[in-house]
Amino acid sequence: MRPCGVFDKSYGLDIAIIRTWQHWVILISALILLYTFPLFGSYYLVSFMNSLAITVIVVLGLQIVSGYCGQISFGQAAFMAIGAYTSAILTIKFGFSFWIALPLSGIMAGIVGIIGGAPSLRIKGMYLAMATIAIHFVVIWLILHMEITGSFKGLYPLPPSLGGFEFDTDERIFYIIMTVMVIMTYAARNLVRSKVGRAFVAIRDNDLAGEVMGVNLYYYKLLAFFVSCFYAGIAGSLWGHLITVVNTEQFTLMHALEYVGMLIIGGMGSIPGVFFGVLFIRILNELVMFSSPVLAKALPWLGSSPAAALGLIAFGLAVIVFLIFEPRGLAHRWEIFKASYRLYPFAH
Amino acid sequence: MRKQSVIFLLMVLAICVGLVTLSSTSFAKEVSYLSLADYTGPIAGLNVPADMGLEDYIKDINSKGGVDGVKIKFIGIDTRYDVARAVSAYKRYRRTPRLLVVNSISTGIGKAVARLIERDKRLQIVPGDGEFQAHIQRTFIWGPAYQDAFAATLDWIMDDWKAKGNSGAPVVGYLSWDNPYGREHLRGGKEYAEKLGIKFLPPEFFPPGTLKHDVYLTRLAKAGANYIHAGGVDPTPTNVIRDAYALGITKKIQMTTDYWGPTALGIGVHAKALEGTVITSFYQRGDDSRNNPFVADLWKKHRGSMEKFNEVYGMGMSWGMTYVAGLTAALKAVGYDNLKPDDMYKAYQGITGLDKHGIQGVCAYSPTSRRGSLEVKIYRVKNGKIVPITDWRKAPDAVSLHKF
Amino acid sequence: MIEFFQHAITGLMIGSLYALVAAGIVLVYKATHVVSLAHGQLVAFGALFFWLFLGGLGLPFWLSLVPAFVLTALLGLLIERLALRPLIGQPLFAAFLMTFAIFIALEGVFVLYLKGETRTLPAFLPEGNLDISGISIPINQLISFCVAVLLFAAVSLLFKYTKLGLGMRATAEDHRLAQSTGIIVKNIFSYIWILSAMVAAVAGIATANVMDIYYMLPYIGISGLIVAICGGLDSLLGALVVGLLLGFVENVGAAYLDPLVGGGVKDVAAYVVLLAVLLIRPYGLFGLVKIERI
Repeated sequence: MRPCGVFDKSYGLDIAIIRTWQHWVILISALILLYTFPLFGSYYLVSFMNSLAITVIVVLGLQIVSGYCGQISFGQAAFMAIGAYTSAILTIKFGFSFWIALPLSGIMAGIVGIIGGAPSLRIKGMYLAMATIAIHFVVIWLILHMEITGSFKGLYPLPPSLGGFEFDTDERIFYIIMTVMVIMTYAARNLVRSKVGRAFVAIRDNDLAGEVMGVNLYYYKLLAFFVSCFYAGIAGSLWGHLITVVNTEQFTLMHALEYVGMLIIGGMGSIPGVFFGVLFIRILNELVMFSSPVLAKALPWLGSSPAAALGLIAFGLAVIVFLIFEPRGLAHRWEIFKASYRLYPFAH
Repeated sequence: MRKQSVIFLLMVLAICVGLVTLSSTSFAKEVSYLSLADYTGPIAGLNVPADMGLEDYIKDINSKGGVDGVKIKFIGIDTRYDVARAVSAYKRYRRTPRLLVVNSISTGIGKAVARLIERDKRLQIVPGDGEFQAHIQRTFIWGPAYQDAFAATLDWIMDDWKAKGNSGAPVVGYLSWDNPYGREHLRGGKEYAEKLGIKFLPPEFFPPGTLKHDVYLTRLAKAGANYIHAGGVDPTPTNVIRDAYALGITKKIQMTTDYWGPTALGIGVHAKALEGTVITSFYQRGDDSRNNPFVADLWKKHRGSMEKFNEVYGMGMSWGMTYVAGLTAALKAVGYDNLKPDDMYKAYQGITGLDKHGIQGVCAYSPTSRRGSLEVKIYRVKNGKIVPITDWRKAPDAVSLHKF
Repeated sequence: MIEFFQHAITGLMIGSLYALVAAGIVLVYKATHVVSLAHGQLVAFGALFFWLFLGGLGLPFWLSLVPAFVLTALLGLLIERLALRPLIGQPLFAAFLMTFAIFIALEGVFVLYLKGETRTLPAFLPEGNLDISGISIPINQLISFCVAVLLFAAVSLLFKYTKLGLGMRATAEDHRLAQSTGIIVKNIFSYIWILSAMVAAVAGIATANVMDIYYMLPYIGISGLIVAICGGLDSLLGALVVGLLLGFVENVGAAYLDPLVGGGVKDVAAYVVLLAVLLIRPYGLFGLVKIERI
């Protein structure tokens, strides 16, 4: 995003993420706006932002494994569950502090992710996608049939605390979640433009060609799964400590499908696309969910259940219409906009 | 194309704005009731008719001028059996002034919302988990706990066994959904069976939406079960019993269900298969409910012909009765201007003995009880109709038998 | 031993339903390379349309079969024309998401119509059990099993011996090549969706025979998807064999493994089989192995 006439005169300038002073202004004011949000945003908006940010972290992970490395995964919800459960078990049963449990739950999810990603060494495309669905159900089944996970009863993690300060409300935990999200976004943005990121893209575009060029397929595919599941685990841990209840009904296949949907709507292979996609689906979802009582009240003969059904139809239709007009995702439109902004006022 | 889409968007926007303005015309004095219900998922068969009953009841109260001039606003949110959606929805309405009661119609959702409820000093009602009776907090259950009703079924089984001239104790099998709801009955129910000396077979669990249940039924039958209890929210128990009938099991083994068992509406087509099934219910079923003038009049007024009448409608009305009674007491205590959710919580503990027009036993909420009522009635399917075979009887307290 | 055969037969009967559902998914994939999540809804709507005429209007069996087929086919055609055709040439994952969106929208319609109620098909097939040396087989399920097998044979013959089938096979092979030989690929897409919807209607009616029509019915599409993937996405034979196999494994697994692990085998049996099959044969049991070139 830079105006016409800005040229890179050195390698340093070429690889800078933040290129011009306008970028710095926008970035810093956006960060200030983000961190002061609980001061002026309503309670509902703050809690909505929390769940939004957690979803962003999950989908960032998905973007790395699916958008960049080309391995479609429907297992993200299950890996999020692993993160949430690990964090809950560590803090409740072993007395770890949240601050240690958070990275550990990411690593735990990542390790399970390596096992879960192992089929990708042999399976590709839609077949791999189905294999990850299978992994989802196996993970959930295992959680339900183990003693340490509280089986059907679930676990009750506590809100994080730091030196006596309890992050027990949405407004307080907001700062933790946002900080983690900013760090994770920064990490993802940098990972995908490093050697590793280029290897991922090579695998996505043509894995055979990548192998011929010297990309170690096994290593990089498993690495992609590790990173992606690490993200999911971190998000799961945050989610558990935000909701303070963890059970398997929070991590369903529908969520995993929704994450992939966000990815496609946002645009594959683009970090800003993650934000677009998450915002689009989540806002649409909330609109639909909260318009149905409004609808039921405005049209009293309709009743609540039909209003909910109309909401479902509206959700489905909105996605259908969106896909017809923008099948390559919002990031694609964003790229076009950036390119034309860069050329303005010239035509080419 | 672009012009068209702009026009389309503008139209959608206009409709949205219109709807919002239409619905935001609110009454001067208003209290809210939030229903976190599953209108479009696996337990919709229970949620939809129940909320219909409640909505109609509230409409009726409002058209008569409300409770002491205070109108009730019903907010129904479709959670799709999804905890994340429900929590988000609760947070959306959490700061609504005078949101007095939240109804979380799913075990998972109830548990996730419970902590927020404690913090907000509000109260919530949930289906039937005995856990909430064992740890008294701000969560109330609709009727007797699942394990209580199951224990009542076991009592009936013992009576039936002896009435048939058998000695000793029967063998009882249990099969239900593979989720927290399916296991709740056994937390206390199993202990009660041991107390009665009943031989309880290892329970069977299957996922919701299973096509055939032959494996489980044959295993229970082979283990010598004399009675099989089929759990799950209708139509699951109906389908289980259909399978049992097709296997010829129902001739030798008596099938029983809990209070989400078959409704009169579902029995119509499967009358032959369901014949003889025993249903333990805390609300009126079959013709009992149909002939209850209080229920039937409201249904006829809002829904027309009785052809599609569902008994769960009456149960929904009973939530409304509790709410109105609680509201009346709370208004009397503090008045509308000072009304806080906590006052409703206090009021709910004091409406012990509230008469629910026969739909269900008298209200049993009290400072030490979270049960909506204590009585159950046992019904049996006879010639395609649900007929009571006992009067209202107190369900035994099975919750206290289990260590939660 | 008799008990084992009894469980196996019951499993195979259920398996034939899975196979029927999977067949529709395979058909769509073969021609358009789109994996359809919306297929479960087509199955449910097939059953619902049939109920409308048989149970709702009280028409005789054969008379209600025809409009049910026509309506389901129309629904399939509508999905193809309105939602999927604009996506030709776009990323396949957009099409995949599109089928998911269709699933949700159709679920809304389903809910709007049913309003929390359950619909049950009146018994339209002869009832009773067939007894073969101690093993009892419900006659109505035996009939639907036979129908499933016959349907597979019919569709295979259609593919092999008719001009339309030839066009479909050519399209499955390569869209561009098929187009250059004068086949109108877009029309083939429409035909294949109609065919798939009709197979879905058969599957829906057969499923509604053992299970009520309610919210869980569309989710049989997930079992169908597993079968389709296990058998190979482009193999009808695979759908049939693996469908039967899956029913068998689920049922026999639940019968003999449940007591060992404490229940709930039915929840995961299908997925464990899927993982095992894919690890051994990455393109499914009968799927076409693609040879990749750079």
